Amino acid sequence: MNRSFNKSQPLRHLELDAVEVKSKYGAEFRRFSVNRAKPGKFEEFFKLIMHIHSIANMEVMIGYADVHGDLLPINNDENFSKAVSTAHPLLRIFIQRQEEVDYSSFGSNTLTRKKKAVVTLRNDLNRKRPHIRIGMPQDFRPVSSIIDVDILPESHRRVRLYRHGSDKPLGFYIRDGTSVRVTPQGLEKVPGIFISRMVPGGLAESTGLLAVNDEVLEVNGIEVSGKTLDQVTDMMIANSHNLIVTVKPVNQRNNVVRSSRISGSSGQSSDSSGSGSFPVITHSPSNATVAGYGHDDLDSDEDSDIVIESSVSRPSRRSNVSQTQQTSSNAPSPPSPPTRPQSRPPSVISTASFHSQPSLNGTAHNSLSYRLHRDLNIQQPLYNSSSTRESNGSLHKILSSLRTDPRNSLALPPGGVEEDGMVITL
Amino acid sequence: MMKFRFRRQGNDPQREKIKQDLFAFNKTVEHGFPNQPSALAYDPKLQLMAIGTKSGAIKVYGAPGVEFTGLHRETATVTQLYFLHGQGRILSLLDDNTLHLWEIGQKEHCSQLEEVRGFTLPGRPGIESTNATRVTVLLPKLSCDLLVVGTEGGGVHFLELPSFTLQNKSLFQDEIMQSSVPEEYKCGKSLGPVESLQEHPQLPDKILIGYSRGLVVLWDLQNRHADNVFLGKQQLESLVWVRTADSFVSSHSDGGYMVWSVSSSTPCTHEPVTATIPYGPFPCKAVNKILWRTTESGAPLVLFSGGMPRASYGDRHCLTILQDSQHVTLDFTSRVIDFFTIHCTDRDKEYDDPSALVVLLEEELVVIDLQTAGWPTIPAPYLAPLHSSAITCSYHISNVPVKLWERVVSAGLQQCPLQTHTNWPIRGGKNLAPDPKQHELLLTGHEDGTVRFWDASGVSLRPLYRLSTANIFQTECDHNDSLTQAGEEEWPPFRKVGCFDPYSDDPRLGIQKICLCKYSGKLVVAGTAGQVVVLYLCDDKSDHMIDVATVDLLQDREGFTWKGHDRLPPKSGSVLFAPGFQAVVLVQCMPPAAVTAVTLHAEWNLIAFGTSHGFGLFDYHRRSPVLARCTLHPNDSLAMEGPLSRVKSLKKSLRQSFRRIRKSRVSGKKRVLVSSPSSKVQEANAQLAEQDAEVTPVQRRIEPRSADDSLSGVVRCLCFADTFLRDGTHHGPTMWAGTNSGCVYAYALDVPSQEKFSEQGVEALLGKEIQLMHRAPVVSIAVLDGRGNPLPEPYEVSRDLAKAPDMQGSHSVLIASEEQFKVFMLPKVSAKTKFKLTAHEGCRVRKVALVNFSSVASEDYSENGLVCLTNLGDIHIFSIPALRPQMRYDCIRKEDISGIASCVFTKTGQGFYLISPSEYERFSLSARVITEPLCQVEVDRPHDPSELSICTTLPPQANGTHKTPSGENKSAGDAEGVFDEMQSPLSSPALDSPNSSADITLDTTGELTMEDVKDFLVTVDEAENNLRNMTEEDGRPPGILIN
Repeated sequence: MNRSFNKSQPLRHLELDAVEVKSKYGAEFRRFSVNRAKPGKFEEFFKLIMHIHSIANMEVMIGYADVHGDLLPINNDENFSKAVSTAHPLLRIFIQRQEEVDYSSFGSNTLTRKKKAVVTLRNDLNRKRPHIRIGMPQDFRPVSSIIDVDILPESHRRVRLYRHGSDKPLGFYIRDGTSVRVTPQGLEKVPGIFISRMVPGGLAESTGLLAVNDEVLEVNGIEVSGKTLDQVTDMMIANSHNLIVTVKPVNQRNNVVRSSRISGSSGQSSDSSGSGSFPVITHSPSNATVAGYGHDDLDSDEDSDIVIESSVSRPSRRSNVSQTQQTSSNAPSPPSPPTRPQSRPPSVISTASFHSQPSLNGTAHNSLSYRLHRDLNIQQPLYNSSSTRESNGSLHKILSSLRTDPRNSLALPPGGVEEDGMVITL
Repeated sequence: MMKFRFRRQGNDPQREKIKQDLFAFNKTVEHGFPNQPSALAYDPKLQLMAIGTKSGAIKVYGAPGVEFTGLHRETATVTQLYFLHGQGRILSLLDDNTLHLWEIGQKEHCSQLEEVRGFTLPGRPGIESTNATRVTVLLPKLSCDLLVVGTEGGGVHFLELPSFTLQNKSLFQDEIMQSSVPEEYKCGKSLGPVESLQEHPQLPDKILIGYSRGLVVLWDLQNRHADNVFLGKQQLESLVWVRTADSFVSSHSDGGYMVWSVSSSTPCTHEPVTATIPYGPFPCKAVNKILWRTTESGAPLVLFSGGMPRASYGDRHCLTILQDSQHVTLDFTSRVIDFFTIHCTDRDKEYDDPSALVVLLEEELVVIDLQTAGWPTIPAPYLAPLHSSAITCSYHISNVPVKLWERVVSAGLQQCPLQTHTNWPIRGGKNLAPDPKQHELLLTGHEDGTVRFWDASGVSLRPLYRLSTANIFQTECDHNDSLTQAGEEEWPPFRKVGCFDPYSDDPRLGIQKICLCKYSGKLVVAGTAGQVVVLYLCDDKSDHMIDVATVDLLQDREGFTWKGHDRLPPKSGSVLFAPGFQAVVLVQCMPPAAVTAVTLHAEWNLIAFGTSHGFGLFDYHRRSPVLARCTLHPNDSLAMEGPLSRVKSLKKSLRQSFRRIRKSRVSGKKRVLVSSPSSKVQEANAQLAEQDAEVTPVQRRIEPRSADDSLSGVVRCLCFADTFLRDGTHHGPTMWAGTNSGCVYAYALDVPSQEKFSEQGVEALLGKEIQLMHRAPVVSIAVLDGRGNPLPEPYEVSRDLAKAPDMQGSHSVLIASEEQFKVFMLPKVSAKTKFKLTAHEGCRVRKVALVNFSSVASEDYSENGLVCLTNLGDIHIFSIPALRPQMRYDCIRKEDISGIASCVFTKTGQGFYLISPSEYERFSLSARVITEPLCQVEVDRPHDPSELSICTTLPPQANGTHKTPSGENKSAGDAEGVFDEMQSPLSSPALDSPNSSADITLDTTGELTMEDVKDFLVTVDEAENNLRNMTEEDGRPPGILIN
C-alpha cells in the first residue's frame, strides 16, 4: 500500500495528495478528485457521488476496482479509505442500481474476466481463482476476538468485544457466585463473578465466545477477585468501548488446543486435554501478561473525546475557512499514515463555528449572522479502528441534532459542495 | 499500566516520607445533635453531661470544646446512664441487659473515654425467666462503692463498685411482702418491677425502693430492714426525695403526683399528704418523671414531664414547670427523653436553688434558665440541631475574612438577641485545643428554604446566623402564624420551645445549591423550584423590591411540556429585610426544575446556574440574562415528558425500596436475647433465612452508556475561570458547564471592565464543546494555571490574598467525570493526562475537590491534590496535574448513600458528611490541618485495685461513635481479653454502623443527586428484572460451580 502511495506521488504533479476518481454510472463517466491523505467519510463521498451523477434519490451500490482488478464494494468509511489509499493511479468507481447489483460479481475478479477491455489490469493478476460464493460483505469489521491464547492457561479464554463495530448491544449479565479452586490445602470455595444471562441477538451471544456460567476472571487486565458485583459491573461498563474479559469457560471442551501438545488431533481430542489442564490454581496474571496485551494500544484506541471548536474570534466566513485549514494542518495529532491501522490520533477535532448559542443581549444579531456560516472540518484518520467509527457516529449525531434545530437549517445547500478532498464546506 | 505506576511510586522512600507528612486520615469529631438519643446523665461535681444513643454511643459534654465519645461494642440502645459522683466514671445500661463501666482516662495530657468493664446480672437459677433479671433501674450510691440494681422481677441486687462484684445480699420481693406489707395490700399480686431507687439525701444507708404497683419502701441497707412502707395504689412511674428528707414525691401513670411524708413514728403510711392530678380531671397520660426542687425564695419548683390530658393534648411532648402560681407547659416538637436540673448539691446548703433545667429531647437539647423571670431558654454552644429542618445541601468556606465574619456574627446577634445573661451552665473540663487559626463557615441549606451559617472553626459547631429565603415568595402558609398565636391563650399555658421543625411549608423552597463570595459578601442560593436568589450582605435593614427575571432554559425546544411543580410566585411589592443577607435579584428558571449547579463570580458580576434542562448565565449587576442553553438530548423522550414527574416516581419507588431494605434489615437484625437456649434456635433460623436470601442471585446488565440515556441533560457542574480558550496568547473570562452525558461546554465571555459595567453588557460565545467518549456524567471542572495550580478565587489576586496565577505557561483544564479524571491542555483541548478510576478500580466518582495539603514537616511546603470520594465510600487522593494516585482511605460505608451524597471537602483537606440526619462527621485528610477535641477533665478517684493493666492498651475511640467495620473488628479483637466477665455470646462480631438500623428517609438525605437515585433504582430494577428472568429461566439452580 505504501509503495503505491509513494509511486503515485511523482506521477501526480498538480496535486500531490489528490487521487483522481473516475466514476461510472451506466454509461456515464464523471471525473473528480479526492484527497488521498484525508479522503473524508463515506457518507460525504456517497453524497458527492449522488450529487455529481444527479441520482439523488436512487438506491445504488458503489463499487471500485482494486489493484487486483476485483470489484469491491464501498459502503463504509473503512473500505472507502482503503479504496482511496490503494487507488493506482486512479480510483475507478462503479455505480450499480441496487436492484441490478450482481452480488456474485463482488469479491471475485469478475471484472477481470468479464470486462478486460474496460478495466485495464496487469496481466499477471489475470489468473483464475476458485469461485466461492460468499455473502455480501456489507461491513467488514471485527466484533470479537480471542486474544493472548499463547500466554494464557488453556482453561482460560480472553475475549475482546468490539462494541463499536456493531449496533448490537453487548448483551450479557453477570452475577455473584461461588467458584471452587484447587489449592495446596485442598478444595476451596471462593466467591466469583459469573456470566448469568445472554441477551438473545446481543453481541456476546452472537460471538459464541462467552457462555452462561462462564466465570469472569479479569476485566481489561484487572483481576476481579475481591471486587463486588457492582464494582465489576462498573469496570465493564467503563471499559465497554473495548471490553476484554478473561473467562474460565464453563464448557472446557472447546478450548483452544496447543499444537505443540496434540498434533493432528481432531476437535474431539481437545476434550481430554481441556479437562486435563484443569484445574488450574487461581490464575493470577503476571505483570508480563498484563503488559502482554498492549494496554497502550487499547488506551489510545478507546477514548478520544470529541472537541467541537467554535472559532470565537473570527466572525467572517472567509477567514474562518482559512483558519480551519490551518488548524487542521497543524493539528496536534497528524493523521496517521494508512499503514498503521492500530494507532490513531488521540482525539478527533472538528472545527466548526456552529450553533453558538444565541446571545440574549444586543449581540444576538452578530452571532446569529455568522452562526449560519459554519464550516465543518473533519479531520479523518485514514485507517479506521473500531472507535473512530464511534466518534464519527457521534459527530453525525451532533450534526443530526443540529439539523433538528429548526433555526439552523443545516440541509446541504445544492451546489455548495466543493470537493477539495480535505475540507468539506457545508 | 496503572499498577506499574503505583509500584514505582511505592518504591520511592523519599516520596513516601513526603506523603506521610502531607496526608493522614482521621475521623476527628462529630458535630450536631446525636441521632436518636436514649439516655441522659449529669455529674454536678464534674459538671459533665452524658448522652447515650440508640446506637450504643456515649457522648460526654462539658464546657464548649470539651467532649468525649465512647461506643459500646454492641450496637444496642443505651437505656440508662449514670455518673459515679465526681469520679469521672460512667455506668451504662444497654437494652441487651448488660452493664458497662466507662472511665474518663488521661492520655498524653488529654482526656478520653474508655470502657473498662462489663457485667451481666446472672439469672436466678430455676424459677425465674430471663426477664426477671432484666435491669429496670440503677442507683449508684453517692459514695461510689455500691450499685443498687432493680429488676423486672422486683428483685434488688447490690454490686460492689467499680469491680461489679455481686454481693450476696439481694433483696427479693418475698422478703418485703412477708415482713412489712400488711395483709390487705398483698392480695396475691406481685409488686411488679422496681421502678425507682433513690438514695436518702442525708442517710447514705437508706434507700427508697419504688415498685411498679405503687408500693414504696424505705430500706435500711445496714440492717436489712424496711424502715417505712408507703402503700401507694397508683401505678408508680418515678420517685424523688425532697431535699429536707422529711418527704418524697411520687409520680404516677394516671397523670398525678403525690407527696408522702416520712416519719419514723409511722412505719406504714397508707395515704399521701397530697395527691394532685395537675391536668385533670379528665384522664391524663402518665407523669414519667418528676423533680422537686426547694428554693430559698419559698415555694418549691416542681418539674415533671408528661401528664397531659389524654384526649386533647395526648400527642404533645410537654414538660411542666410549676412554682406557686407560675405555671408553664413547655411544648416541644419531639419526645422528651430525660431531663435534670442543675442545682446546689452541697450538703451544707439548705436549698436546692436550681439554676437551670436541661431537657434532652429526641431531636434537640433545650436548656431553661430557672433563675431569670419568665424562664427563658439558654442557647446551647454545642449539640446544635442541624436538622431543625432537613438538610438538603452543605457548603464550606475556609479562611473566612475577619470582616465578613464579624458582619455575619453581628447579623446573627441582631436576629436573636440574648434573652438571658446566664452563661452556659455545664462547664466541666478544660478545653486544651488552641484557638483556631482561621475562621471557617459551614453553610447548610434546608428543606424549608433557610440557609444556616455555622461556626465550623472548632470542635463545637456553633450557629451564627440563619437566613430564610421563604419571605420573598408567596407561599400558602403565610397566615399560619396568627393561628398559633391565638392558641396560646388557652389552658394549659403552652409555650413553644425548641427549633426542631420537621414540617416544611412548601418543598419547593428547599435549598439545592449555595455559593458565597467571601470577599464581597455576595451569596447565591438556588432551590428546588428553579429559583436562584442573589443576596448582598448588608448591615442595615432595608425595605426594597426584588428584581425578578425569568430565564427559559428550553430555548423554544418543541414538544416539551413540563409536568412538574409550578415556580414559586415572588412577592409583589417591597419586602422588609433585617440586617444580614438581603435578596436583591431573583432569577427563575423555566421550566422550574430543581437547580443542580450554581456558581458565582463576584468580580464579573455573573452567576451561572443549571438544571436538568440546561444552564444559564446572568449578569446580576445589570439584571440581564446573558445566555441560556438547553442541554436536553433531542432523543431524550423521557426528559421531554418533564423530568420532575419522573423524579417523583423515582422518589416513590426509592422510598419503597428503602422500605423493603429496612424490612429485611429489621428481620435480619432482630436482637436475640443473650444466653437463652431458645435464642440459639432463633439464631440458626436467622442464619438460614439469610442464606435463603443469598440464593436469589443478583444480576447486573453490562451495557455501555448511550447518548440518549434519560436525564442526560442534567447540568452537573459549572465553573468560571480566567484562562485561554480562544488562543494561546489571550486569556479572558470563560464559563464551563458539564452535563450528565459527559458533555462539556466552554464559553468565552466578554466582560466589560469595571467602569463600563453599567453601559456594556456581558457577551458569551460558545468556544468549545467537548464530548467525553465514555459519556459518564461530568462531576467537576477546574482550570489549572501554568504551574498546575488551581486558579485563585475571584478577588483573591486583586486584593493580594493569593499569588497571581501563572499566565505564562499553558493552562489546562481538569475534567472529572464519574469514571475518569482527565487533564486537557488549553486552548486546544488536547488530552494530557488521565486516570481511569472506574476501569481500574471499579468505583465511581461521587465528589471531588481540589485541596491544598500542607506538610507537617515544613511550614511552607504544600501540594495541591485532587480528592475524590467514590460510590464505595473510599477517598482517593491524586496529585495534580499528573493525576498520580497518592493515597486511599476507607471513609464511609458504601451502603450509606446519604452520607456519601452529603460529603463536602474543605480547601485545606478536611471534610464533613452526615452520619445521621442531625450529625456531621468531621474528618481530616491532611496531616497538618486537624480539628479534634483536645480537652482535660480533672478527676479524683481512688485507684481501682481490680483495674487491668491491659486496659491502657485499648485503642482510642478516635473514630467516633460510628464504627468502620474493619477497624472496629480489630479493636474488638484486641480488647477481647479485657472483658473477662463478659460471656462469649456477647462479643458479637462488628455490627454495621447505626445508620443501617436508623430510618433512612429520603427527605433528610441531603443533596442526593439524581445519579444516586438512578444508580439505586437501576440496581433495584435490575434485581427485580433478574428475579423475573430467573423465574422465567426454568428455575435453573444458580449455582455452585464445580468442574
